[in-house]
Amino acid sequence: MNQLIYNAAVWLDNTEWSTRIHESYYLYNWIESTHVLTLMLSLGILFLIDMRMLGWAFADISANKLATRLNTPMLLGFVVMFVTGILLVYAVPVRSAQSVWFRIKIGLLIICAINALLFHRKMTASIGSWDFEPRAPKALRVGALISLITWSVIVICGRFIAYDWFDCNYPQSDLIRGIAGCIDGQTQF
Amino acid sequence: MIFSLILNYRKTLCSGLFFVVLVSFLFSESITSSHLAVLPIFEWMETTWFGVAGKTWGALFAVVQAGHLIGLGVLGGSVIASDGRLLGLFKGLPMRLVVDRCHSIFTWSLGLLVATGVFMACGVAIKIYYMPVYWYKMLALALGVLFVFFIRKPIVDRDLDKVSPWLLRLLALSSIMIWFTVAATGRWIGFS
Amino acid sequence: MSNESDSKSRDENGAGIVFAVGIIAFFIVYWYFEIQSVRELLEMAYG
Repeated sequence: MNQLIYNAAVWLDNTEWSTRIHESYYLYNWIESTHVLTLMLSLGILFLIDMRMLGWAFADISANKLATRLNTPMLLGFVVMFVTGILLVYAVPVRSAQSVWFRIKIGLLIICAINALLFHRKMTASIGSWDFEPRAPKALRVGALISLITWSVIVICGRFIAYDWFDCNYPQSDLIRGIAGCIDGQTQF
Repeated sequence: MIFSLILNYRKTLCSGLFFVVLVSFLFSESITSSHLAVLPIFEWMETTWFGVAGKTWGALFAVVQAGHLIGLGVLGGSVIASDGRLLGLFKGLPMRLVVDRCHSIFTWSLGLLVATGVFMACGVAIKIYYMPVYWYKMLALALGVLFVFFIRKPIVDRDLDKVSPWLLRLLALSSIMIWFTVAATGRWIGFS
Repeated sequence: MSNESDSKSRDENGAGIVFAVGIIAFFIVYWYFEIQSVRELLEMAYG
């Protein structure tokens, strides 16, 4: 599996546009800046909705209305995050694919996606009964808390990707090499 | 007549005067001497516990950076929700409540941003001292803070139905512009 | 009392307009020069 990921990453790394993006100071930085600044649209609004569910903010505003009205800018933000995120990985594919933090981040993103799906389903099923209650029912509160914690850890992991502590081109323990998926005798990093 | 005009419009006149003084300062010689005068503060910042910790423990610096990013996200979310509502978006949400609740979230996240920002600044104080973009960010931040707490807040605290919707839109637009500039210049510090 | 609060509101509105215009001008000038400097650098690099 790791060999397959490595081969795919090397193939991407050898494409013309991957080189163009990572060798262009402005293009790479603009993509990364857009990725980071869109946190305000995606994560910021998601956290507002989560805080409403937990009763920490907007307790006197209809939970359903708040979630529905803020949904569009939030989704727009996540689309931009997703596109710029893919471009960032495409610009530095081998290092990203073998980054411990990137791998944890992807795992957490999958958890977040499942959590969001379950949250949405429970929210649609139960909304009429508690819309103006300061706090959402327990199941939704747990979902909101999972979302807050997981997304915060995702931001930390995203920030850690920039650091080279566990990169495959340095001597690492077997555990780290296993998680990062380092390949014996690999030539591209 | 003039005296009563000054008395009745003292806040407006002070605001105008503030911008005149600010622009004159930015284009004067004294900006260079002021820049030199604050160098010892930045040198001292690097010797503080924050400065030493930030330089010694890369992981701690990175976690604080992540905290700064989360703060940025929440601050941005509150600005988009509040100013978006003032601009006429998110119809159906009560404007009064959205603006009020967003203001407290804004204040908390600004507190988190300042705390984490000071820590980060101490770790790389001399480096940022020589960066023009850092000073642009500080200027935008100072303008943003003054604007939110001394200008925007007293207006949006009034009965919103009695405030001109155009004034509310103007305030919302300038608020989005200033906080976007603060965030974007902050991001650029990391690249320079 | 009402006159006093009307005059206070007018003053606050005036300060709001001054600050908003100041911020918008700062925004336009700052980003204009930023974009110009990037364009100049790109032109130097790629012609």
